[in-house]
Amino acid sequence: MAQVTINNLTYTYPLTEEPALREISIEIQAGEFLAVIGANGAGKTTLCYTLSGFIPHFFRGELQGKILIDGLDTANSKLYEIVEKVGLAFQNPFNQISGSKFTVYEEIAFGLENLGLPRDEIRSRVEWILALTGIEDLAERSPYALSGGQQQKVALASILVMKPGVLVLDEPTSQLDPIGTREVFQVIRSLAHSGQTIILAEHKMEWIAEFADRVLVLDKGEIVRLGTPQQVLSDINLLSSGIGLSRYTRVAHRVNQQKLWPKGQRYPISLQEATEAFGRLLSQEGGSKK
Amino acid sequence: MRDRLSFYILRESPIHRMNPLTKLTLVFSLILLAFLGPVEWLAILLFTTVILPLSFLAHVGREFLSATARLLLPVIGFLFVMQSIFLPGGGTALVQVWVLDITLENVNIAFVNATRILTMISSFLLLLLTTHPSALMSDLARRGVPGPISYTVTSTLQILPQMQVKAATIMDAQRARGLETQGNLMKRIRALLPLVAPLVFGSLVDVEERAIAIEARAFNSPRQKTSLVEIDDRPIDRRIRWGLILVVIFLLGSRLWLK
Ligand SMILES: Nc1ncnc2c1ncn2[C@@H]1O[C@H](COP(=O)(O)OP(=O)(O)O)[C@@H](O)[C@H]1O
Ligand SMILES: [Mg+2]
Repeated sequence: MAQVTINNLTYTYPLTEEPALREISIEIQAGEFLAVIGANGAGKTTLCYTLSGFIPHFFRGELQGKILIDGLDTANSKLYEIVEKVGLAFQNPFNQISGSKFTVYEEIAFGLENLGLPRDEIRSRVEWILALTGIEDLAERSPYALSGGQQQKVALASILVMKPGVLVLDEPTSQLDPIGTREVFQVIRSLAHSGQTIILAEHKMEWIAEFADRVLVLDKGEIVRLGTPQQVLSDINLLSSGIGLSRYTRVAHRVNQQKLWPKGQRYPISLQEATEAFGRLLSQEGGSKK
Repeated sequence: MRDRLSFYILRESPIHRMNPLTKLTLVFSLILLAFLGPVEWLAILLFTTVILPLSFLAHVGREFLSATARLLLPVIGFLFVMQSIFLPGGGTALVQVWVLDITLENVNIAFVNATRILTMISSFLLLLLTTHPSALMSDLARRGVPGPISYTVTSTLQILPQMQVKAATIMDAQRARGLETQGNLMKRIRALLPLVAPLVFGSLVDVEERAIAIEARAFNSPRQKTSLVEIDDRPIDRRIRWGLILVVIFLLGSRLWLK
């Protein structure tokens, strides 16, 4: 059975007319890496909240359909039961700080204290995650005195340390510069390789192209595409859903508009694919001139 | 200062070693005695002979005095003056201000009230200066106080330093936008107005998001919580707590009997 099953989910926030999610159905297998993309307001954050139980337990509103996580029906479970299965890292890291802890080390330990782990295990897990996320140098700093990027890494570490079966990441690199983004994606990659189920809402197409097993495209709360990164991210029609495609794809599209792109060939979505595709194109051109 | 989210100062002292619940018991005993004790001058007596010496015993005397002077005295002074002038009731007039008499009786009442508030807030200050916020929360949680209650107590005690940090951030932002936050009094008051809304509204939004964030960290899990920091609860702590409770019962009881 799939680890996560969403069946015909429609959700409307309180005091709003239009549903933020419409008739969403998807199964996510254990160990799968699903990327969720979509314009601002498409419903990515709402989907993340639904997967982690904050909808309907925190945000009330009207929920139809079913979400099963490891067989647990989220609407009929307690939030703390869901929290032990699904870890959510929020889009805004500033308010992810517990507010009762003095150092980053203690902040990361907070979730483990609540889960009632013995002190030795807490220490070894916190040290493991500090090393994994590369923030050992922040351990003794105050969680309030960090840059946005540092806070984002601490927030991620605070969730990872609880070892949730399903990891939901809502734009985890929004506050990070390119170097920080690369570091965080390296962490995400090593988690994915270790068999962690990951659901990632993200804008940065190049990283998605590299990591995701499947890509889900949301537009106004509806699924408009679902497929492999190669299928989805090379689809120029997505521009109309307000999604910024990678520069490799856009360049290929330009070339196609000038009628120079080989008929029927898919656009590249990564540096690797672009190098190959343009390499072939140039060598053909060189060949025809001879 | 930006780095400090609480008043806590890590030092080596008998007060720092004291169990958080013992200190909380001390604080509430002091407050009960100051407000309901058998004699009115007990509040100022407790401040000068208990709280102040304890702050030096805790090696935080300098910080205690400076925080008291900066945060407490202006408020208490203001209360004292207002009450002296505006409390109703006649008596021995000392001086006349405009149409109002300042009477000896009112000055007396105002003084007692001021010292009571001084005792109350300064005893909390002493607790905050010497107690790690998460030690307090963990200790309460460990004793079976429900999570939301221990969290509320702890985070309420931290509101002041957090507001301070946030106010500084907003001030910086306003200054960067060209708002006057220095200069004469009128200018500064005008500059404060745009500060108030984000501070209050921001705090409310924060409360909701913070609530989600701590839920995500299993805060409301029914599991028996553990604690990273070791919290001592020595036999002497227990004896002090019982002692304090007895003193409070005795002094409050004596007030009833004396009547
Ligand atoms: N708390 C809320 N109350 C009411 N409407 C909301 C709330 N949060 C989001 N929405 C609305 O739901 C839709 C989806 O928002 P969101 O999931 O945040 O999109 P995304 O994360 O893709 O930018 C938007 O139209 C947004 O205005
Ligand atoms: Mg969002």
